[in-house]
Amino acid sequence: MSASFRRSAVAIGFAALLLALVPLFTGSFVLHVLTIALYYVILAASWNLLAGYTGQFSLAHHAFAAIGAYTSGLMGYHLKISPWIGIPCGVMLAGVCGLILGRLVLKMRAIYLAIATWAFAETFHIYLTADYKFTRGELGLSVKSLYGTTDPMPYYFTFLALTVLVLLGLRLLIDSPLGFFMRAIKDDELRAKSLGIDTTKVKIAVFAISSAIAGLAGGFFGHYIALLTPQMIDFSEMAKIVVMVVIGGFGTFLGPIVGAAPVQVVMTYLQSYGEWNLAVFALIVIVLMRFSMEGVASLFTPLWRRVWNWK
Amino acid sequence: MAALEAIGLRKRFGTLQAANDVTLSVEPGEIRGLIGPNGAGKTTLVNLVTGVYAPDSGEVKLAGQSITGLAMHEIARRGLVRSFQVTRLFGNQTVRENLLTAFHARRPANVDGEAAAERMIRLTTLGPLADTPAKKLSGGQRALLQMGCGFMVPGSCYVLDEPFAGINPVIKETILEMIVEVNRAQGAAFLVVSHEMAIIRQLCPQVTVMMEGKVAAQGTLDEVARLPAVVAGYLGKALE
Repeated sequence: MSASFRRSAVAIGFAALLLALVPLFTGSFVLHVLTIALYYVILAASWNLLAGYTGQFSLAHHAFAAIGAYTSGLMGYHLKISPWIGIPCGVMLAGVCGLILGRLVLKMRAIYLAIATWAFAETFHIYLTADYKFTRGELGLSVKSLYGTTDPMPYYFTFLALTVLVLLGLRLLIDSPLGFFMRAIKDDELRAKSLGIDTTKVKIAVFAISSAIAGLAGGFFGHYIALLTPQMIDFSEMAKIVVMVVIGGFGTFLGPIVGAAPVQVVMTYLQSYGEWNLAVFALIVIVLMRFSMEGVASLFTPLWRRVWNWK
Repeated sequence: MAALEAIGLRKRFGTLQAANDVTLSVEPGEIRGLIGPNGAGKTTLVNLVTGVYAPDSGEVKLAGQSITGLAMHEIARRGLVRSFQVTRLFGNQTVRENLLTAFHARRPANVDGEAAAERMIRLTTLGPLADTPAKKLSGGQRALLQMGCGFMVPGSCYVLDEPFAGINPVIKETILEMIVEVNRAQGAAFLVVSHEMAIIRQLCPQVTVMMEGKVAAQGTLDEVARLPAVVAGYLGKALE
């Protein structure tokens, strides 16, 4: 285990411990908000792997979460299959779709890749709405809740555990040779090839991995909120993920963690302003970007260094 | 058997015949110079043998095996390593991470990457900058690091595109020593593109001259420098 993994593991473990104590002090609404926030931490962290580390600015990440959610939801709805089988199926299908999409957009760069992946997401969005006999469309697909209760407590701990596992997995991945290759591709793909890196394979692998993680988060999310609608693939969902990562720190490990949770919490409380909440939110983004282009995570860097130099 | 062989390579860009029937072979352990005026097709040749472009016709062989049309990373994995004229590095990675990326890319069995990177940091004299992002390095330091990355995993043949261009004399000397050392220790072949006649004379027993997409001459530097066509088309005057 590398030093970087050990440090991250200690920090994540410590944060998880604090979060595990939260239910002692708060009610179920706060737990609900935090559960959803953890869902976005997983989405933001896995999208960051693809966009922040590898430079593949995909706008289809929310669609992979929906693939995970709808796969398990539809299997349960039509075939009465247990979520514990449905969710792994959703993860696999999201991974395979990610692999295929990754293959399709391989030669595309920057804005072209963004548009192509966005078109993929929209196609899926339209399908979910149009094939309403199968997917229940805008009426919403009712999904069995995972623990047969609407009390957020067990879901909160489920998402906390998932988040810890995903983050530790991502840390291992980023420190592995594949992680070096990902960052190499983002900086200079031709150079990466000239060194002997099979950039095609790396890009497709990262697409598949990050999509599978989104599918995992989506699957559990579906069995928590219990009603799926095509709203899950609304572009505002994707925009939210992008904003979370950019505010937190694009291409940094800490970024999506410190970006996603606060953004989701703030957005929830801004909802009382109705349509204005996006405007207020945009203002916050502008102010934050003005002070720190590298995101909130960079503000923590000096502290992080100091903590580990104590030893 | 030649370490690297180009046989009748042709490449056309629009109306420009950038490589016109280029045949060249570099023997194992040889350091061959490749000289010629700007626009003669030297970099095109480098790009053709390393797989950046596929040739319109002709063949490239590495240690007797055809590598024509293979992807760049395949060619690199077979031991043909290149450097770029405009230094290419991973700007957001530190010096050490750049070396480790190069190491992992063609990871040899049973070698410790960290130790290999540490050795290369000493060899390139970049010790104090080991944890600095590559984008903060000076031109010379970047050139050194690029060279170091190429040497992280032993290759059978190195193609260096102007490794000395615009670099201060001290670093030039360090790069020169690295090339000589790798050539001596590993028996690796080199094809070195350069305009620096003093270095070419010191480094390369044989040089190839390219002009207008063709091989114009071959021999020792002093032999080719006497040829009227080379003087007229490239050197301008005889070498002193």
